[in-house]
Amino acid sequence: MNKPLCERPAVVRFSPCRMPLLALTAALCAIGISGCSDPEPVERNAPEFDLVSADDANEDIDTYVLPQDTAILDEDNADEIFYGKRLLNETKRLLPDNVGAAMNCNSCHIAQGKIPLGDPYINSYNHYPRVMPRSGTEVDLEARINGCFQRSMNGKVLERDSPEMLAMMAYMQWLSQKTPETHKVDISNAGEVDTSLTPDTDRGEQIYQAQCATCHGDNGEGLKDSRGDVVFPPLWGEESFNIGAGMARTYKAAAFIKYNMPMGIQTQGLWGHGNVLSDQDAVDVAEFFTHQPRPDFADKVNDWPSGKKPPDARY
Amino acid sequence: MQKWLLRIGAVVALGLVLAFALGKLLPHWRTSSSDIEVDISDQDAIESGKYIARTADCVACHTTLDGKDYAGGLPMLTPLGAIYSTNITPDPDTGIGNYTFDDFKNAVKHGVRKDNSALYPAMPYPSYQIMPDDDIAALYAYFMSAVEPVNQPNRDSDLPPVLSWRWPLAYWQTLFASGRSFEPETDDEPLARGQYLIEGPGHCGSCHTERGVGFQEVALSNSGSEAFLAGATIDGWRAKSLRGEHGGLGTWEADELSEFFRTGRTDTSAAFGAMADVVEHSTQYMTDADIDAMSHYLKSLSPAAGKETAPDSKEDVTTQKLLDGDYDSRGAILYAEYCQVCHRADGKGVARIFPALDGNSAVYSTDADSVLQITLNGGRMPDTSHDRMAFTMPEFINLSDHDVAEVVNYVRNSWTNEASEVDVNDVVKMRDFLNKKPKTATEFPPDLGVSAAAQGEPRE
Repeated sequence: MNKPLCERPAVVRFSPCRMPLLALTAALCAIGISGCSDPEPVERNAPEFDLVSADDANEDIDTYVLPQDTAILDEDNADEIFYGKRLLNETKRLLPDNVGAAMNCNSCHIAQGKIPLGDPYINSYNHYPRVMPRSGTEVDLEARINGCFQRSMNGKVLERDSPEMLAMMAYMQWLSQKTPETHKVDISNAGEVDTSLTPDTDRGEQIYQAQCATCHGDNGEGLKDSRGDVVFPPLWGEESFNIGAGMARTYKAAAFIKYNMPMGIQTQGLWGHGNVLSDQDAVDVAEFFTHQPRPDFADKVNDWPSGKKPPDARY
Repeated sequence: MQKWLLRIGAVVALGLVLAFALGKLLPHWRTSSSDIEVDISDQDAIESGKYIARTADCVACHTTLDGKDYAGGLPMLTPLGAIYSTNITPDPDTGIGNYTFDDFKNAVKHGVRKDNSALYPAMPYPSYQIMPDDDIAALYAYFMSAVEPVNQPNRDSDLPPVLSWRWPLAYWQTLFASGRSFEPETDDEPLARGQYLIEGPGHCGSCHTERGVGFQEVALSNSGSEAFLAGATIDGWRAKSLRGEHGGLGTWEADELSEFFRTGRTDTSAAFGAMADVVEHSTQYMTDADIDAMSHYLKSLSPAAGKETAPDSKEDVTTQKLLDGDYDSRGAILYAEYCQVCHRADGKGVARIFPALDGNSAVYSTDADSVLQITLNGGRMPDTSHDRMAFTMPEFINLSDHDVAEVVNYVRNSWTNEASEVDVNDVVKMRDFLNKKPKTATEFPPDLGVSAAAQGEPRE
């Protein structure tokens, strides 16, 4: 680059009629230079969150610093972590036999699972195994990931000890940044939305057409890039997530949309995302698209065995 | 004290007095009176003036981010301090309410205020001076009758003495903005209309023509030189060459240019920075005929002197490496983490949503100011009635300066792109500049309020 932002005197050809201006310019540029000290390069301003003990959220123990992917190079299993990251980003392209929908893990886990309220993976490694109300059993992280493959991606499970599963686990372990097992990063995976609101589907459709359809399509069909890979996932139809997905539930979808959609609309945040819709807007548009036709989930009969079904469950 | 010193002192003093007196007189010789009687209540004239104000994009500079239309106050940064645009509403105390038509014409076309002092050339009167008096009359009717008067005093410039004085500017005007009239390059009417709009009211050269030692545009028309619209750097943006070489508009079709003027984007590009403001405030409102005229005229410009018309063809090896996870540099890892989700592995983006980086001259231009600024600061496309949404690029201000340099070099030299390397000091300087630069409308998110979108309110 040859154009300094701080003006310096230009070298010009001698020209009598320009002399007074030249002298003036030179003098003023000299003033300009003296008032222009070069600052130092700045380091990355990484997001930081408190670490708390898992049973007492008020106890601030230490700080979690969100890592940048360049730090993966420092790890012994860097190749495996990078592979896991790629699988989460481009699940449909890399695992076509396991993904039925035109979706990637990171269609919902935005910015590679690094954003609070955007379904982050930051706490995933330590959060499982745990008892999930939906299954009524203890679920470990491999099983949780496979749940996504069967529901949100309307596909088939991965072998638990396959290189692909291990790679995704390795990415999530790396992202946990050695947070001790008894601790968690003090963030929420999903934001709040008022579940007492009554959805208005017609209004939801209007909002969808104005603020979602440019990317997700007038008929919810999503959008692919020039290579045919998923950019924006289909929100309904055969290539969308099935009714077993959390995203098929009105209030879960509304909470996601409110804080994460649309993308490329703010000038801040890694995806320039979210915080456009009110709770009512989000509930209306969520009700509209979740209840469009979408694939069934065969194993739905096994969900919520203890009967504590959430009100927005689809079956 | 020696006598000769005294004598020199006296001569210098006398010279200064004479220069001052002449400086005060010069503007009188620029101005003219006319016998045009303007009926400011003539609706046709007002309508026509409103359109002419769009083509001249008066509102862009004469309105602040949260201010009233045309009330002025927008800072324009110079290395030595800001100058502020003026109130051009018809308010009699603080605006131009007391201007006669001649006063108005002399300001717009000749850069001379009602009090006969010279205007800073931030006001593009060297371009506007080719506008016909009838158009200026319509503009006058519009401003006097249809613009809401706003009482808002003008701000003095922050410039140091000498530069803040008005009388030396008269010499600048004599040297660099002497009389000029419109001379069509062709008999072809649409082409000539395009030439007029580009050269005159559109004042494209204000940003796209290099400035000389006196801050004057080195050429005000194509007949003057091939330096006209050959690209320049202003406000931390590279305003690209609009001439026929590859890095200019060589790869653009006239239809694409028209689409760009009308909607602020094409399948591969999006207006950003100052040009996003131009589309948002000006070109989207122009008639199809005027837009096409501008596009065809620009396509008629020869390549800038000494510039290549076709690039060396370079094979794309980047796409496959990104698809394979073969990250061969720190820049590649950063691209995969922060950029790839929108701009894609092939750097082609998504049509009308995310602009392409491959083959995009804003990315690979020799001067990397634009790509540095938009990477650090983000920005948004113009919001027009043509598309439902105007998308943003988020700021990456939280990356380290080293990493910004890495990722910018990566996109400048990936796929078929080839460009010089930026270094960390370029990022440091841009970050420092951005800390001082006032924000513009297209650095903020669009209005996505559900009521605005669902009720179809005009998006002006």
